[in-house]
Amino acid sequence: MTAVQWSDGAPIYRQLKERVVAMMLDGVLKPGDALPSVRQVAAEYQLNPITVSRAYQELADEALVEKRRGLGMYVTEEASRKLLASERERFLREEWPLVLERIQRLGLSTTDLLQTAGGAK
Amino acid sequence: MNASNDTLAPVISARNLRKAYKNKLALDNTTFDVAPGRILGLIGPNGAGKTTALKAVLGLIPFEGDLRVLGRDPRSERDELMNDVCFIADVAVLPRWMRVREAIEFVSGVHPRFDRARCERFLHGTQLKPQMRVRELSKGMIVQLHLALVMAIDAKLLVLDEPTLGLDILYRKQFYQRLLEDYFDEQKTIIVTTHQVEEIEHILTDVMFIRDGRIVLDAPMEDVGQRYVEVLVNADRLEAARALKPIDERSLPFGKTVMLFDGVARSQLAALGETRSPGLADLFVATMKGTYA
Repeated sequence: MTAVQWSDGAPIYRQLKERVVAMMLDGVLKPGDALPSVRQVAAEYQLNPITVSRAYQELADEALVEKRRGLGMYVTEEASRKLLASERERFLREEWPLVLERIQRLGLSTTDLLQTAGGAK
Repeated sequence: MNASNDTLAPVISARNLRKAYKNKLALDNTTFDVAPGRILGLIGPNGAGKTTALKAVLGLIPFEGDLRVLGRDPRSERDELMNDVCFIADVAVLPRWMRVREAIEFVSGVHPRFDRARCERFLHGTQLKPQMRVRELSKGMIVQLHLALVMAIDAKLLVLDEPTLGLDILYRKQFYQRLLEDYFDEQKTIIVTTHQVEEIEHILTDVMFIRDGRIVLDAPMEDVGQRYVEVLVNADRLEAARALKPIDERSLPFGKTVMLFDGVARSQLAALGETRSPGLADLFVATMKGTYA
C-alpha cells in the first residue's frame, strides 16, 4: 500500500504533476513510456479521478505527454528537451541570482571560479 | 472527462426537506443538489441527520419537502428508482446463515442489472469462498462481499453510509481502492458518509457538512482549498488578524495563535504569518464547535 504524503500548500493535482515531472527529469519516465492509467493512479494514491485527469491534462497542455487514442498517455519525444529548457530557464531566473549574489559577497573572481570548474569540462 | 453537456441535470435535487423525530429535527429545511460523476462526502457529527438524509434519498422514510433522485420521487417511485441506485449501510446486514454463493444467487435473481461474472471476478481476489457462510466471515470479509455484490450492479448512484465502520486500515484502503479502480466513472455518482475524514478527503470531489439537519457547507473540494486558509499568527499581529474576522481561533504554546479564514485573500493573510490550507478534519472541527456542548 503506497502511503503518499501530500503537503498542504499547493493543490493536489499540481503536486501530482510535479511528481511526474520529477520522474521525467530523473529519467525514471523516458520518452515513449506509458503513464499509468487515471484509474490506477486514483486507486493507488486514493485520489479522485478528476484530480488525476487534471494533472495529466496539464502535462498534455505542456506537450510533456500525449494521448494515444485508446491506449492512454505517453511521454513525448520532446519531453526531456522541453523540461531541460524550462529547468534551465528556472535556474537562471530563480537560483542563479542567489548564487551570483553569494559569489560577489565572497569576492570570488572569474579566474577562481573557472579554476575549480576546469576539471568538470 | 466528457465533452457532452448532459452533465447538467442533477442526480439528486433536494428542496426544503424536513423530518422530525419526536421533538428533534433531523432534516431542517435541507436543500442541496448533487451533480453526476461526482464523489460527494456527507460529513457531520453523530445525530446531525446524515443517515436520515440518505434514507430519504433511498425512499426508506417519509419526510416533507421536494426530493428528486434521478428525476424520480423516492416516496412514490421507489421500485423504479432502485434499478439505478445501490447502497451499502453499516446496518444492512446479510443473513448469517446465508452462503456466499446464495447471496450472489439472490442478488442475481432480484436485480436486472447484476453482472454475476463481474461479481465473481471481484471475489476472486479475496479469501471468500462460495460455500462460506456469512457467520464464518470477519467484518472485513462481509464488507468485501457487500462491495462485490454492489459493484457488479451497473447503477447510476451508489450510497455508502459509513461503509468502512469498524474495519481495519488495510480493509478501509482496499475498499476505496477497489471502488476507484473497478467501479467509479464519470457516469456514476457516489455519496459517502464517514467519520474517517482524513482518509477520504482526496477521493472526494465535493463535500457537504451537515449540522442539526442543516447543510452548513456545500462546495467542490477545489473551492474548499481556495476559500479556507489557516494562518499561524505572530503575537504582534493578533489585532490585525482579528480585524479580518477569522471563523475560528485557537492558541498554541509559545504565544502563537492559529486562525482560520473563509474567503480572505491568501496574499493578504501571508503578511500575518505562515499560511496553509486546512484539512477537512480541521475545517470540520472548526465548523462544528459546540455541537455537543
